[in-house]
Amino acid sequence: MPEVSAPEQLPVAQARAGEPAAWDTLCRRYQLPLYVFIFELVRDEQAAQDLVQETFLAAVRHLGGLREDAKFGSWLFGIAHQKCIQRWRRPTEVLLEEIPETPDELETGPDDVLIRREDEAAFMNLLAQLPPPQRTALLLHFVEDFSLEEIARITGTELGTVKSRLHYAKRALRKLVLERET
Amino acid sequence: MKTPRELLFTKHRAAEPHLDTIRQAVMDELRHHDAKSQTWPTYFVSWLLRCSTPLWRELILPSRRIWTGLAAVWLLLLIINVSQRDPVSGAPGQPVRSPGVMASWQVQQRWMDELLADRSTPPEADHPRIALPRPRTEKQELMAA
Repeated sequence: MPEVSAPEQLPVAQARAGEPAAWDTLCRRYQLPLYVFIFELVRDEQAAQDLVQETFLAAVRHLGGLREDAKFGSWLFGIAHQKCIQRWRRPTEVLLEEIPETPDELETGPDDVLIRREDEAAFMNLLAQLPPPQRTALLLHFVEDFSLEEIARITGTELGTVKSRLHYAKRALRKLVLERET
Repeated sequence: MKTPRELLFTKHRAAEPHLDTIRQAVMDELRHHDAKSQTWPTYFVSWLLRCSTPLWRELILPSRRIWTGLAAVWLLLLIINVSQRDPVSGAPGQPVRSPGVMASWQVQQRWMDELLADRSTPPEADHPRIALPRPRTEKQELMAA
């Protein structure tokens, strides 16, 4: 499993200079997390692979526009998110989801939900049933442990909206875990 | 017990050979992209962009408001300068047609002509007197007188 390494360890500057070895390192680091994120959004293996390739190619072309090297990860997932939205071709439906209210507090850390072996299939089913905005926020939280601010930037939404989406998605997961325990 | 991250990554582990193929395709595209940009004008432009990008990020972007303000001030000065320019002077390279300037120029030309004319015909008094030797007989007559 690829480790979530510190952003400053990634050879982003060398990649910007066009060094193939640097790009190889970046692609190795992000290929599986990107695929997981994209697949769980589009639910299509071939489409997910195509979108991973498109995301990397777009990154190769536009890396010069990235201002802060430390934000490479969130920038890359932002490109992938845009590609997924283009794929859906229904961005308004996705973006205009009703958010009830913003919670005051939110649990931090993607590992505060632990899933037992017998719950794994149920977890995957639940993840697939979540509305796309909640699923997007939850996947970014689980896969790369992005901060709320980073998720807001990637998805182009307000911080409060991200908090709300994560809150309700996690609550649904907890409910699943508790139901299985009782 | 697994974390959601572990669960998701385990589920999609089987896709890794495909992802390696995708990475190779991206690397090929990168090399192809580099090879295409090896003609010297594009190489020069990319080199210029590579050099200017850090400059842009470190010098311009942090104080972009100040730079914008300075640019606005310079633009304002340029507009004021253009709007207050003397319309008589006209465009550069055009002959000056102001009557005052023409009269002054004619006076100066006349002075120059006079000065040059005087130099060309110097007065008699300026010539040094040369004492020509007289014949010996004349000298003797003068002595006798």
